[in-house]
Amino acid sequence: MKRNVLIKRIFFWVITIIILVIALGPLLWIYLTAFKSANDIMTGQLIKQIIFTPTLDNFKRIFIDFPFFKDLLNTVIISVSSTVLVMIISLPAAYSFARWNTGGGHLLFTTISTRMFPGVVAALPFFILFRKLGLLDTHIGLILLHMYFNVSFATFLMYGFFKDVPVELEQAALIDGYGRFNIFRRIVLPLVLPGIATTSVFCLIWSWNEFLFSFLFTRNVARPLTVLISSFWGSIEVQYGPMAAGAAIGVLPTLVAAWFMQRYIIRGLTFGAVKG
Amino acid sequence: MKGKTGFNKKENSYNMVNTKNNVVEINVDTYLGRKPSVWEILSSDKYFKWVLLIPLILVLLIFMFYPLIYCIINSFREGGLTGTIFVGLKNYRTMMRDSSFWIPFRRTIEATIICIICELLIGMGIAMLWNRDFKGQNFVRGIVLMPLLVAPLILSLVWNFLLEYNIGFINQVLSAIGIGRIKWWDEKIALFTICGITIWQWFPFSASVLLAGLKSLPRDVFEASKVDGASGWFTFRKLTLPMLSPLIVIIILLRTMWLIRLFDPLYGTTRGAANTELLDWMVYRTSFVYFDVGYGSTLAIMCLYLTIILGAIMFRQLIKALEASSK
Repeated sequence: MKRNVLIKRIFFWVITIIILVIALGPLLWIYLTAFKSANDIMTGQLIKQIIFTPTLDNFKRIFIDFPFFKDLLNTVIISVSSTVLVMIISLPAAYSFARWNTGGGHLLFTTISTRMFPGVVAALPFFILFRKLGLLDTHIGLILLHMYFNVSFATFLMYGFFKDVPVELEQAALIDGYGRFNIFRRIVLPLVLPGIATTSVFCLIWSWNEFLFSFLFTRNVARPLTVLISSFWGSIEVQYGPMAAGAAIGVLPTLVAAWFMQRYIIRGLTFGAVKG
Repeated sequence: MKGKTGFNKKENSYNMVNTKNNVVEINVDTYLGRKPSVWEILSSDKYFKWVLLIPLILVLLIFMFYPLIYCIINSFREGGLTGTIFVGLKNYRTMMRDSSFWIPFRRTIEATIICIICELLIGMGIAMLWNRDFKGQNFVRGIVLMPLLVAPLILSLVWNFLLEYNIGFINQVLSAIGIGRIKWWDEKIALFTICGITIWQWFPFSASVLLAGLKSLPRDVFEASKVDGASGWFTFRKLTLPMLSPLIVIIILLRTMWLIRLFDPLYGTTRGAANTELLDWMVYRTSFVYFDVGYGSTLAIMCLYLTIILGAIMFRQLIKALEASSK
């Protein structure tokens, strides 16, 4: 009986470790490759793929030979500004939907459907509009586009968080003579602070990772990180070293966020429907 | 007008509930001793909810209806970036016969079905495995979520590297253990490779959702069925699966929404070559490589119809789940 339990336990841990290796292996591979020299990357010997002398050459190269720092800065500027804009727009809207069901559900559906709007459908009209307005390859243009595809997600997620605030609290404040605006600012907003943090981090990550719009709407000036990293692949000689080094730095913030937000990831990805 | 709370514009009074649950009417003029300011009117119950919505409505008008109307108008026209002429339904007729639309269309549906089925099966297996107390459970459940938030484009580049024919790590391992190298980007299997990458990134999602569902199930029912001597498979089929079905529906809907718009993994790997062109890639190619504004708009509109039908179904389920979980 006791042996049976032991075998079961070993079996359980073997499978769990296999799952973790499969899930995390490729992420680890980014970091392994980033510290390899060009020779070690192209080697045909299996053992050399894992045991090698680490070098910082790839990191030096991306900062010196490529506009890596500028593009990283672009990504930061674009994702932070678009997130701030998104929150300014979606916080009051989500509160209105959650408290009064404004528009009887139709408006909320219209909002959420922008998220389902295929990016390529919106891309062509905006490309032509932005060309006329001179917004192609500018930070403002990309900030606006990132705001557009995040605003519905943020509104819907915040809608769920606002729904959790008991109405009784607000009624009590109304009786105490608070105005509607003050109730929103002084009572409701502090209560949904965790929700605001979660939603903002999600918007930051979506904007950080976004590729389609960034790729179509920027060339040099406002080019974000994802587009630069993808360009290492396109040339005749694939530059795996710089690609891995760029990816290693590029995915770091999202990995850190994933670790600290793990309680909220499932809630965010299911638009608030599943509280993981 | 007694009985209804909120601001009453006609009588310029404010109805509110007092502590004894009676509606009290307060006349604003007598209460304030003056007419209410614009700000006071805007922040009254009747208008405040709409004031809050103004920015969102403006954004929706500009960013949603503009592209929509643009695409509808241009789907009836022909020509490039510089100018278009009206051609009626010609684009739609072309599309109906165009195999370069229907083949990616079918491929997208195939890829979506393959990915969802695999993700659900793997996810269910892992959820069942981890639905117990073990050492380091929070760590394990947390760390497995890591791939979910990483940019799909970067992950596809990494997988492209791992699966490279000569220097890719996976092919080197396969050749070392005697299976031999596999041409992952061969025309026959490239689509499955892309599905595999997507499944790899998203299996933690369905696993975690199902695990959250399993944990919320009432334990006594399962104990009762165990006492009654029901087999594990019977319990799973008759108890677990029906109770998890709302979550499974949500997973299927959400994943469908993401999957029919698969674009980034294609860019990082085959770029639409080797029989992997999917719907979004095709629209991108028509609009941005050939700059065929009219036909591109027509294809875009078709994609939109698809997502709207799906979206309407999904919206109901999401609202239902939200209502259920906030109770």
